[in-house]
Amino acid sequence: MSGSPSADQRPVPRPSDFSLPFWAATKERRLLLQYCRDSGRYQFFARPVSLFTGKRNLEWREASGKGRVYTYTTVHHPPTPAWAAHVPYVVGSIELDEGVRIMAHVVNCAPETVEIGMRVRLAWESRGEFNLPVFEPE
Amino acid sequence: MAARDLAIVAYAHTKFARRSGRSPFAIAGELLEQILDRAGLDKRDIDGLAITPALAEASNPFWSNFMVDYLGLTVGWLQTTDLGGATALANVARAAAAIRAGLCETVLILGADAAMVETHSSYGGYRSEWEQVQGLPGPPGEFGMLMHRYMHVHRLDPEALAKIAVSQRAGAVRNENAYEAFRKPISREDYFASRLIADPIRLLDCVMPLDGGVALLMMSSEKARRLGFRKAAHPTGYAEITNIRADDPLADILETGHAIVGPKALAAAGLRPTDIRVLHPYDDFTFAVLMQLEQMGFCERGGGSRFILETDILFSGDLPINPGGGQLSTGQPGLAGGFVNLVEAVIQILGQAGERQVRDNRNALVAGIGMIPLLRNWGTSNALVLEASA
Repeated sequence: MSGSPSADQRPVPRPSDFSLPFWAATKERRLLLQYCRDSGRYQFFARPVSLFTGKRNLEWREASGKGRVYTYTTVHHPPTPAWAAHVPYVVGSIELDEGVRIMAHVVNCAPETVEIGMRVRLAWESRGEFNLPVFEPE
Repeated sequence: MAARDLAIVAYAHTKFARRSGRSPFAIAGELLEQILDRAGLDKRDIDGLAITPALAEASNPFWSNFMVDYLGLTVGWLQTTDLGGATALANVARAAAAIRAGLCETVLILGADAAMVETHSSYGGYRSEWEQVQGLPGPPGEFGMLMHRYMHVHRLDPEALAKIAVSQRAGAVRNENAYEAFRKPISREDYFASRLIADPIRLLDCVMPLDGGVALLMMSSEKARRLGFRKAAHPTGYAEITNIRADDPLADILETGHAIVGPKALAAAGLRPTDIRVLHPYDDFTFAVLMQLEQMGFCERGGGSRFILETDILFSGDLPINPGGGQLSTGQPGLAGGFVNLVEAVIQILGQAGERQVRDNRNALVAGIGMIPLLRNWGTSNALVLEASA
């Protein structure tokens, strides 16, 4: 990704009341997932309740940052002018080993080398006051 | 809905236009006048209104009240349904329930939007927190991911997608309400030459948002007979599901709600896929058409490309698909997009499709897709069977 931070017009995350812990942890480059204490399962993105029980018995746990590409798209046509300098870029659905899928860019490789099933690991990219999780080939 | 106790007796359809400068209220006014003229009714005969939200009025919390006020209607039942592209079919079902419950007798089901004039919608939630932050170009981005996954599991022949685009365009050429720039044929070469938006989605795989609207008039079949309507489209089967597999973060994104609602709507009508004469699948993307055919049981999983290539899907063919052009070639009037597929089914059953009239119009299956969630397929899936009067 190119451009100085001040010139970067790409949108920044706007956390909700219940997703704020996720975004706050990105400042320390830690990837947190909501964990349901009753079912022992993870969920992404942040929800006000457990998807599995409807209850609020949730905690935040740090994820391993390892996973594989479930699917992806390579964006050629920038959705807004802020993205014009960045195309083409790969937006992936990354299946984490914790059993959730997260939306993130696949970076540090040529877009045409990205494949479904490819193992990836967590990296970070700054955006505004937060960091965005991105993934690179393992 | 197996009984033919309800009747859609008339339709209205504005010409779709780009940057028309018209508000959704003005478009709705044109629809009201047109449908009253066609049906030969007085506006006081309408006592129910079901509408879609409009992108152009999304910030108005009293949208439906404003609408009846601007249209000069007094109603006993008023409904806005926010199921995106699935709203058109959903409102037929909700109006049916309201008529059967005795809340109203004659319902105007209306969708009007001016997506290109001014967009007052702000999605918030995970759309702004994730999709926009990631630079995902909205629905084409999500559909690009869906297509890649499909291509990983099955064989997708791009010739089939080209055929959908080219065949539907042939219907739009014969549809006076289609966006004028779409009333020119396209070739398979045009399809393959169109630019990549979000790989593998090409420009000619996508709808274009436009301004316009559609309306239908529904009442009991008994009342329709009393008023002298000789032809009608009867809703005989409907099913809807939203947020399937809500608690499965690893759900197969190639399984959609249509696998549930397609068979359910057909069973309610006492029909099988082979009984259906015309298909009106929701077509925000060419690939959505193919997926709905597979999921609703018209062919096996992964067999969509072959089915499309081996079937004459033209308006004049054996199994016409979106014979009026669909949204791909008529245009997508903002949040009223699902109406494009629904109204064409009604027009064909009423026998008013002119040069694009299908050979066998005894029934039709219409399907809807509502809202694109994060990293899955779509929010609401629905399906409606319409049948001609016996």
